[in-house]
Amino acid sequence: MVRVIPYVIYLLLLAMYQVIFANMISIYGATVNLAALMVMLVASFKSEAAATWFGFFCGIVLAAGIPDAVGWQALVLALLGMVAFHFREKLNLESLRARLILVVSGVLAHNLLNIAIVHADAFWYRLFIDGVLGTIYTGLIAWLFYLVKEKKLTYQSIKSIF
Amino acid sequence: MNLLSSLLARSWRNVHLAIITVLSIALISGLFGVERFVSRVVVSGLYEPFFYIKNAVNDLTTAADERDVLRESLVEASMKLSLQEEAFRENLRLRSILGFEPPASYHIIPAKVISVSGVGLPTAAIINRGSKDSIKVDQSVINQAGLVGRIIAVTENHATVQLLTDPLNRVAARVSSSREMGIVKYRTNRGLILDNFPVQGTVAVGDTILTSGLGGIYAPGLLIGTVTSVERPEREPLCKVDIATAANFRSIEELFVLLAEEPWSE
Repeated sequence: MVRVIPYVIYLLLLAMYQVIFANMISIYGATVNLAALMVMLVASFKSEAAATWFGFFCGIVLAAGIPDAVGWQALVLALLGMVAFHFREKLNLESLRARLILVVSGVLAHNLLNIAIVHADAFWYRLFIDGVLGTIYTGLIAWLFYLVKEKKLTYQSIKSIF
Repeated sequence: MNLLSSLLARSWRNVHLAIITVLSIALISGLFGVERFVSRVVVSGLYEPFFYIKNAVNDLTTAADERDVLRESLVEASMKLSLQEEAFRENLRLRSILGFEPPASYHIIPAKVISVSGVGLPTAAIINRGSKDSIKVDQSVINQAGLVGRIIAVTENHATVQLLTDPLNRVAARVSSSREMGIVKYRTNRGLILDNFPVQGTVAVGDTILTSGLGGIYAPGLLIGTVTSVERPEREPLCKVDIATAANFRSIEELFVLLAEEPWSE
């Protein structure tokens, strides 16, 4: 039960991001796909079951405002988590770049599927904004996350710049 | 053993996947409206607290912006009110001046005080009239209440007025009722007094003191003030008479310089 608590906190963070920060930090309509990013990160560090179930619940939280898309989002993100886990296992990713490519690919896949699930109109516009810009934006955040996690970006190193 | 555990692990994975797939299909198909129920639960359980926070923050931000706007409006309104109050006071002053008439055979030149000097009560004032306005030294200066002082220095555009409150100033005066004379002067510790007035003289509290015109500086009959106390010490030839000035020297703004149409001394 205790092992579930971090995931509940992640889901709360996702809800908070969706409500408060998603619009706040969007650049020309492109915003960070935190749900996909979280699922990919959980798949990169945790077990298959954790990644799959977390993906499922992330999908529910992500699409809570659009009941018709809840099932699709849950399924897509659950599959994304599972597939990402298997990629991680099979490819045995070590370098930062390889892990980043995996995360960015997952985010891109989710963004494209998201367009198919939610956005029926303005396909090319959404493809550019969500598919390309949104993926780049999310990739940058993932890169920062890995830099911090691997202690390549620390408070001291930032301080030394100034 | 390894094979068994591998099989178990694989079957567990399949169980997970199967459950997730079934749940997802249930949500996609909208079986019994489950997707709406789930959506409602998530929105009310997870989203709503953050909606409240967001709205509270928005309200605070809006309130802060409104507060800034209101503060600016308040400053603007205060300034306008202050200007209006000042205009109202000026209006009252000018109304009281409007009915003011100079003594006979004099005409008046209105002037505005541009600065005053002196510690506590002002003892001198500079007005915005000078020699080009026919202002000369020793002309009397009054306001609507009474005598204020005399001109002691003149430049082309400005003149300096020695006020009654200057201890060096002396005014030949008389008591209006008894016509008895004395010298009005200002003592820093007592205020305006009527000096050189004999103890046998007739003066009482409430009597008005006017300029006598003697000495050739001040025009006769100008109101200086009102007697506030009279002391007649024994074995002294002169009594002590205190006077309250008619003019308020703390708030002199508009003054009038008296110009003799025909010099009264001549």
